[in-house]
Amino acid sequence: MSNTLEGFSSSASTFNADMDFAFWMHIWVSVALFLSVVVPMFYFAWKYRADKVKNEEIGTLTHHTALEITWTVIPIIAVMFFFYYGNTTMKMFRTMPAESQSIVIDVEGSKWKWKYEYPANKAGHVHKIGGVYKKPTIDENGKVVEAGSMGISALYVPVNTNIILKMTAPVNDVIHSYYVPAFRMKEDVVPGRTTKQWFNASKVGEYDVECAEYCGTDHSYMYSKIVVMEKDAYEKWFEGAAEDTPKGNFAKDGKALYAQNGCASCHSIDSDATLVGPSLKGIGSKYDSQYLSDAVTNPDKDVPEGFYPGIMPAFKLSPEDLATLVKYMETGK
Amino acid sequence: MSKSYFDETHCAIGHPKSTFMQWMLTIDHKRIGIMYAAVMFTFFFVAVFTALAMRIELFAPGGQYMDGDTFNQAFTLHGVIMIFLFIIPGIPAVFGNIVMPLMIGAKDVSFPRLNWFTFWLYIAGCCIALASLFIGEGVADTGWTFYAPYSLNTGTNVIMALVAAFVLGMASILTGLNFLVTIHRLRAPGMTFFKMPLFVWGIYATAWIQLLATPVVGITLILAIMEKYFGIGIFDPAKGGDPVLFQHLFWIYSHPAVYLMILPAFGIMSEIIPTFSRKEIFGYRTIALSSASIAGIGYLVWGHHLYTSGMSDIAKTVFSFLTFFVAIPTGVKFYDWVATMYKGKIVLSTPMIWALGTIITFAIGGITGITITMIGLDIHLQDTYYTVAHFHYAILGGVVFLMFAGMHYWFPLVTGKMYNETKAKIAFYLQFVGFNLLWFPMFIAGYYGMPRRYFDYLPEFEIYHQISFFGALIFIAGLIYMFWVFFKGWTKGEAATPNPWNATTLEWHLPTSPPPLENHSKVPYVDFDPYEYHQGEPVVKFNYETMQRID
Repeated sequence: MSNTLEGFSSSASTFNADMDFAFWMHIWVSVALFLSVVVPMFYFAWKYRADKVKNEEIGTLTHHTALEITWTVIPIIAVMFFFYYGNTTMKMFRTMPAESQSIVIDVEGSKWKWKYEYPANKAGHVHKIGGVYKKPTIDENGKVVEAGSMGISALYVPVNTNIILKMTAPVNDVIHSYYVPAFRMKEDVVPGRTTKQWFNASKVGEYDVECAEYCGTDHSYMYSKIVVMEKDAYEKWFEGAAEDTPKGNFAKDGKALYAQNGCASCHSIDSDATLVGPSLKGIGSKYDSQYLSDAVTNPDKDVPEGFYPGIMPAFKLSPEDLATLVKYMETGK
Repeated sequence: MSKSYFDETHCAIGHPKSTFMQWMLTIDHKRIGIMYAAVMFTFFFVAVFTALAMRIELFAPGGQYMDGDTFNQAFTLHGVIMIFLFIIPGIPAVFGNIVMPLMIGAKDVSFPRLNWFTFWLYIAGCCIALASLFIGEGVADTGWTFYAPYSLNTGTNVIMALVAAFVLGMASILTGLNFLVTIHRLRAPGMTFFKMPLFVWGIYATAWIQLLATPVVGITLILAIMEKYFGIGIFDPAKGGDPVLFQHLFWIYSHPAVYLMILPAFGIMSEIIPTFSRKEIFGYRTIALSSASIAGIGYLVWGHHLYTSGMSDIAKTVFSFLTFFVAIPTGVKFYDWVATMYKGKIVLSTPMIWALGTIITFAIGGITGITITMIGLDIHLQDTYYTVAHFHYAILGGVVFLMFAGMHYWFPLVTGKMYNETKAKIAFYLQFVGFNLLWFPMFIAGYYGMPRRYFDYLPEFEIYHQISFFGALIFIAGLIYMFWVFFKGWTKGEAATPNPWNATTLEWHLPTSPPPLENHSKVPYVDFDPYEYHQGEPVVKFNYETMQRID
């Protein structure tokens, strides 16, 4: 079978051989079971077609114990094989290697980007990489003129090494799923929880990462990339200084923050419509930035007239994010 | 000329003169079934064209006709309509109503007024769902599964959709209750459970699921509404809730709901195969009991939707093991159907080719379901096009195809007219070819990692989307043509005799076609099996005036 997806090869990780065996074993057994139904069906429909059968030749068979046992027992045996291989492949994915023999990387999925945080290197520097996918450029007819790209933002890992991903999402975000088709693996990333998955890449190359759990507007663009490097190249990069961390294109403008934190579900900003809370259109001319940032982090402190405390949850944002968000509310940028 | 149920009816209130009011107030099970069909297929076409709009968008990478948000609303609309407005009422609402009472020799369902109320409850649910299109921020963008916490955070009209689903669930519960009582209390004398036609078995098993599983989703939707309005932290981790709990509660209902869809469909298959093989069905008891056991085991397998949600590995193993045991009774049914054809006299009329075509498509749908029951493989294929294709092969290629088979089979019974066989067969072949062209490429795309619910995709997947698009065009052409053939048949078709297929079950032993208002002239005494043929002819014959056996 030809290989169409970037990096979708049969030997990209240590999982692939077992997974492909389980899949194709299942497919071929299933094809046999399928044919055991469909071939007799076509044969009978042709052999006993109405114009060839006289009424007195019609059979009366309604039971055949041996046959019935056969077609119950053989599928049971088949599905027990499927169960066994489904289970062993699961164990392979879900049995984490010892952390001492692995690189443990923290992954954070949030609307709509992936962020990676490495353990500190010898110089004490922590690599933090992540970013949004640069969407494809399209012309006025919607035709793609320039393909989308992850730029240099990627999960950089060494080949033939156990990598454990400790994954989580911010508590006010939604569920995502970290899916690497080339390694046949995915696991949901749940807000407020830590889930894990691991892999051991066998081939140097670049592999696509997709979000597989529907998460809203830019779900279709929540990509990332895994770059598998030779071990020494990886070591050189990993031990490098802060400047060497690929910066990615980690865009986090105010509009994105507004969308990611779900502000829009209660506050309109483009119109005067009152949803659950007051409209924020032109809010910058009514309140100063201190009031606005308090309204985000401690909304019950000073509730405007006509609205009630206890409705809006308090949001925890980093100081930079908060400043960006407040600036967006004030200026629309 | 004797009067049929089109000429006279009983009404819930009073005796209105106008034909329109007679339809609105009717408590006749046949008329209510027709009205369900009319409303359901109107929505069905809305959802089909929503799907076509998505296929057009997906024809090429990039965003040509809609943006991400619109696409998200489109697939939610498609899913909500197809699941809650179309396929869950589905076969029980249409043929459970029209045919089931006829098959057991009853004059109507046990509670005709409740049946009328249920229909209007369904309409109320549809109206709420429709209203969500035009009120506030527009239709929900959560997908038909309403997964928390997304559904709790989005600004779109989730509440309306949840309320609609709740009301529709209520209608489903009441339908199930009505049918259960009807099947227990109104079977003709002599008709034991093992003398019931297999379609009635399918409806019976389904009714239990409707009654027992639907309240769980009702509770879940109420909890989501309480969370969204009153801020009670149940599912939202920001308020201390657990989002995975929502998935558990949702699938405790929604997985049995899949069997709720398919069991009556298997019932239709079990009617058509013996009729057009002109012989008794093979393994009657096995088929009847496998329906019941699927309805039972079906409650215990919901966790297979959560293999990648962070559930414990032991739970995954148990759910996987149990799920395989739904596959076995289903597989056995397929062998029983094919064995029924052995040494039969196979009449390839339109209902029969629909049934045989469905054996192919549903077998593919079932087998690919087994793929994703294998936990390891599901870790790869969960939430990809593989799963989407599996689902559509099982539900469209299984349930809806068999519903179409039933529509061709019972068309002369309901309308008293016959459609054009040749044209109906052309419609079948168009749909069969279009269907496979539309969905088979998605298995391959999914295997290579095409995730579902993407409005734009990596260029590697373009070819699969393009094949799918052309399949969709052929499929929809066949679909429209099929309804055109029905329409022509109803308006201009030849009059049909009461038993045009030489079938054995009681719905074909009516005095006139279409049936009179209160069905059989007398309640028959049932001392025979449902599919008794002797040398290609039905054994049991009735005098239709007295309903005494004359064979």
